[in-house]
This record gives sequence, C-alpha cells and structure tokens, in this order.
Amino acid sequence: MSGLILENVEKHYGSACAVTDVNLHLPEGKLVCFLGPSGCGKTTLLRMIAGLETLTGGEIRLDGEDIGNTPAHLRNFGMVFQSLALFPHMTVGENIAYPLKLRGVSKADQQARVVELLELIQLQQMINRPVAKLSGGQRQRVAIARAIASHPKILLLDEPLSALDAKLRESMQVEIRQLQQRLNITTIMVTHDQREAMTMADIVVVLGEHKVQQVGTPIEIYRHPANEFVADFIGSGNIFPATALGNGKVSLPGGDALQVPICSSIVVGEKVKMLIRPEDLQLSAPQATAGNRLLGKVTFVRDIGATIETTVECSGVSFTALSTPCQGFGLSVGHPVSVTLPVEACRVLGA
Amino acid sequence: MSTLIKKRQLLPGDTGKFAGILSGFILLLAVLPILTMIVMSFSGASNLDFPPSSYSLQWYKAAWHTFVSPDASDVLSLGQAMSTSLLVSCLTMVFATIIAVPAAYALTRCEFRGKAVALQLMSLPLVFPMVVLGLALLLVFDSLPFHMTTSRLVIAHVILALPFVVKNCTAAMLSIGSEVEEAAQMLGASPLRAIVDVVVPLMKSGILAGMLLAFIVSFNEFTVTYFLYTIDVMTVPIWMYSRTVSSLDPTVFSFAVLIVLIDFVLIWALEKLVGEGGVSF
Repeated sequence: MSGLILENVEKHYGSACAVTDVNLHLPEGKLVCFLGPSGCGKTTLLRMIAGLETLTGGEIRLDGEDIGNTPAHLRNFGMVFQSLALFPHMTVGENIAYPLKLRGVSKADQQARVVELLELIQLQQMINRPVAKLSGGQRQRVAIARAIASHPKILLLDEPLSALDAKLRESMQVEIRQLQQRLNITTIMVTHDQREAMTMADIVVVLGEHKVQQVGTPIEIYRHPANEFVADFIGSGNIFPATALGNGKVSLPGGDALQVPICSSIVVGEKVKMLIRPEDLQLSAPQATAGNRLLGKVTFVRDIGATIETTVECSGVSFTALSTPCQGFGLSVGHPVSVTLPVEACRVLGA
Repeated sequence: MSTLIKKRQLLPGDTGKFAGILSGFILLLAVLPILTMIVMSFSGASNLDFPPSSYSLQWYKAAWHTFVSPDASDVLSLGQAMSTSLLVSCLTMVFATIIAVPAAYALTRCEFRGKAVALQLMSLPLVFPMVVLGLALLLVFDSLPFHMTTSRLVIAHVILALPFVVKNCTAAMLSIGSEVEEAAQMLGASPLRAIVDVVVPLMKSGILAGMLLAFIVSFNEFTVTYFLYTIDVMTVPIWMYSRTVSSLDPTVFSFAVLIVLIDFVLIWALEKLVGEGGVSF
C-alpha cells in the first residue's frame, strides 16, 4: 500500500506514556493535520515520523518499507520547525542550498534550484540576505523552501505558524495550503489551532489523552464528532446529558422529550451525552413547548457585533445559541424565549 | 512632599558619584603596578629607586642587546625562552580547544550521571593552590619512566587553561537551540556533519575567545611552570624571574612592558572578536 502507514505506534518515556496505539494511513499528496491540545503527544508523533525520536513500539512504513529504524538524515523528509531553525550564519540562498550541497548537487544546479524556489516563494531579491534581516513571514517562507529543496517524500510542519501574529498567520495558512496543492506533496502538520486545521487539512487526526480520538475530513470531525472529547475540542458546542427513551427519543434533565436521529447502539434507559452546535439552535418568540421546540429563559447575552451569543436555560440545560444581528430580536436577560433543536442537528455522543 | 522630590533628584547622582570614585579606585589599584613598571623601565639610574632620579632609554638598549647577542652569563637567551613560550602557548591553545569543544557539547546536550560533579571538577584548577598543583604534577612527571620537557609544560598549561575554554564554549553552546541541529539532520546531514556545519560555526565566537584566553593563561603562567621547567627549556616568565634573582637589573622592566603590550593586544583582539557576546573569564 502506498503512502505512510503507522501501525500500533507508541512512545513511552520510562513509565510515562507520550502517545500509544496509533494506527493511521496517510495517503499520498494529502495534507494531514495532527490536531490536539498541548501535551497530547502530537509533536512526539511527528518527531517519530521524522526520525528524531525512536519508537518504543509499533511500525512506521513508507510505501511498504519499514522506516522505523532509519536515521533522520537518511529519510529525505522535509521539516519546518516551530522555531523555523534557519541557520543564522548562512544567507537565504545558502540555507536553501544546504540540503542540495549535502547531496553533492553541482554548484550550478544548486543555484538553479535556489532561484526556482525563491521564485516560488517570491523572494527572488533576498538570495544574499542574512536570514536575521528577514521579516517573520519571509523567514517562514525560506524555511519552507529549504525543507522542500531536495524534493522530500514527505513534508512535516511542526506548528510552523505559531510565531506569527494572527493576521499574517491567516494569510500564511492559505499560502502553505496552495503551495502544498501545487507541489502535490504529502504533508503532515501539527497544530493546536482548530481553525488552522479546518482551513488547511484534507484529513484531520484529532489526538487527545495520548491516543487518536478521530480521523476524518474537517467537516466530518465538526459535524460528526466520534466522542465527547472531539465534540468539546472542535468548535464550541452545547454538550448536555440525556436519557434514551427509544424510538429516537431522549429525555432532557428537565423532563422534556426530544426527537433525535435514531442511533441503534443505544439501549433504552441508557444515559447519553448529546451535542448541538450553537449555530444550529433557532431562537423564536416564546410559544408553548411542542416537538423539538422548547421554552426557556435568557440568562446571558454576549453581543460582539458580528454575532450574538445568547445563553438560554431550558429543561435543566444551559444552551448557547449563535445568531447574526439581523436574526436577533432584542433579547435581554430574563426574557422568555423558544429554542428549536432541529432533529438532524442533534448528535448522540454515546455514554 | 518636597523632601521626597529632593531625595529623588539627589539619589541617582549620589550613587553615580560614589560608583565613579569606587571604580576609579579599583582601576588605580589594578593599573598601579603596571604604571610603576613602565616608569621604572625608563629609569636613567642604575639602581631600583622609585621614582627614578633621571630618565633614559638605557634599559631598552640593554634589553635589545640581550635579545640579539646574549652574554655568556645567561644560561639561556631570551630568544630561546620566547620561542619556548610561544610554542607552549600555541600547543596549549590547540589542545585545550580540541578537548573543550566536545566537552562543552556533551555538557550542554547530553544528560549523564555525575554531570553536576563533572561541571564542578572542570573548574577545580581555578581554586586549587597553584603551588600544590605544580608540586603534584612534578611528582607525577618524575615518576614516569620517560623524560618529558616541553610536553609536560603543555600538559600542565592545558589543565590550567581548560576551565576558561570550556566555560566560554559552554556559554556559546547554551545559546544554540537543538532545533538547528535537528534541522540540519532533517536536511540530510549526519549527526556529526550537523555539528561541524551548524553547531561549530555558531559556537565560533566562544571558541575563539576560549582559544585566546588559553594562550594568555599559558603565556603568563609562572607558578606551576616554575616546578616543571628544566634548565634548557624555560618560558619567558621563568627566564625573567631567574634574571631578577641572580642580579636584579631594570632590564626586566623593559621586557615586562613588552609582555604587557602583547597581553593588551591579545585582550583587545578578544573583545573585538567576541564583540557584545562577552567573554567569561
């Protein structure tokens, strides 16, 4: 099977577990994001793929070949570090030519490749600049150019944008994504920023508590989180307890019944966790409870201009609903309000 | 309220003045012996009275004479002592650096048992009484079945210079993150190649500072060398001392001025090379 395959990969430091039981198939030419909170083992996993960290168990295979024991310098993987790790004693051109020099590429070919890459990152004039004289975004681009100079099989990005300010980061996300698609290079990126992962990734691997929690496209992860951890970590969501009544019905802590998509694995009487996204909740003028329309009371309004977050207490649950100013109807704390939970927007997360 | 403002205006000026007087005094203490020596080297009298009754260049002439055509009473010419000194200092510089660079790398990058002890041991020669060290080394070298002359001076000087070189190299190492090294490896450099291509160039100022310090320490060393020199192999400080004990003549002051000049040039070069990075002595 082509692509990168991780089988039962694990890493222990003494008795402490960094990451365990990782089984992944990373297809060729895709951008995969390892997303998770800090300390979930995502960087360790990336470093194991890079060869900078040894495995304590499992196998890593590239195009069918076990590379678990291949030293980092023989893997031909490009990597952009969190600190970028450009060589301060070399110019931009020398930095980019370094991997070519190591491979014995002739001076003329080195020069040609450097020029080609500088064109790609649009820094043609900077070839003789020392890297210390570049701006944050320019350094970022040089680091990427250096990482891809020797046509690596895989590009690894370890939170490469964390040092940039928010605005530059947004534009670099798009730039890296476009570059990756143009070069069609298999890329693995580590990030703790879910917006970054949603923007850039073909496949998101959610890591948490030292394990893979879910693998899927950004929309799958957002729309169909596999468990409470993913539902809580990705986006903001209303997660609330309920009891299964059978026939696609659950009861809320306050006693109201709710119609939800039928989930065969849930038995009657089981306690479950439910998820509904704030943007799926519909607020309307107070009416009597009927079907999935519940009557509640506003407990907090956060109007941040572009959107309005309204917190509504109903049936013993505190829901947060997101609406745009034009949908709003001047709610304030203490007002009664009706909340509709569309059936298809409700997710059963299991126990 | 008004006294408070008055105090605030007075305080910084007062501290500055006090600091100025104090540092002036300390500087004077440091420079006074050198100044005395320089004044004495221009003495026109034939004795060691201070201040001299008249001034001339006679001792420089005498020094030059000794340098070019040594008289028979000298066991060894200054030229020979000078070449020994330079040889010993250069070898000390090279060997101390060869040992210190890997040591600094290991001390910063690797975790091993007894690292704290190793760090402490590294600076032991700085606090160890020189006389005891000299005596100990003499005992060791004399118990060896073979005869060593210049090489035993080099070994002793390397021991004395090592703390300075290791300290400077370690300081330089500390500022180099492990990510640049890993980056070089990811780009295809073997671990050793990564050190040679990336770590050593980034350590350059620390290494150069360490090398120059090793040279200076070795060139000026007296106490330990005094135990280890032989009649046909002696360094400049020993030569000068042997001259003053046999017949104290002011010629040595002219030589001393020369040595101080060399030291000044070296220290100036050190500051230039290292720049704002700073040297740790």
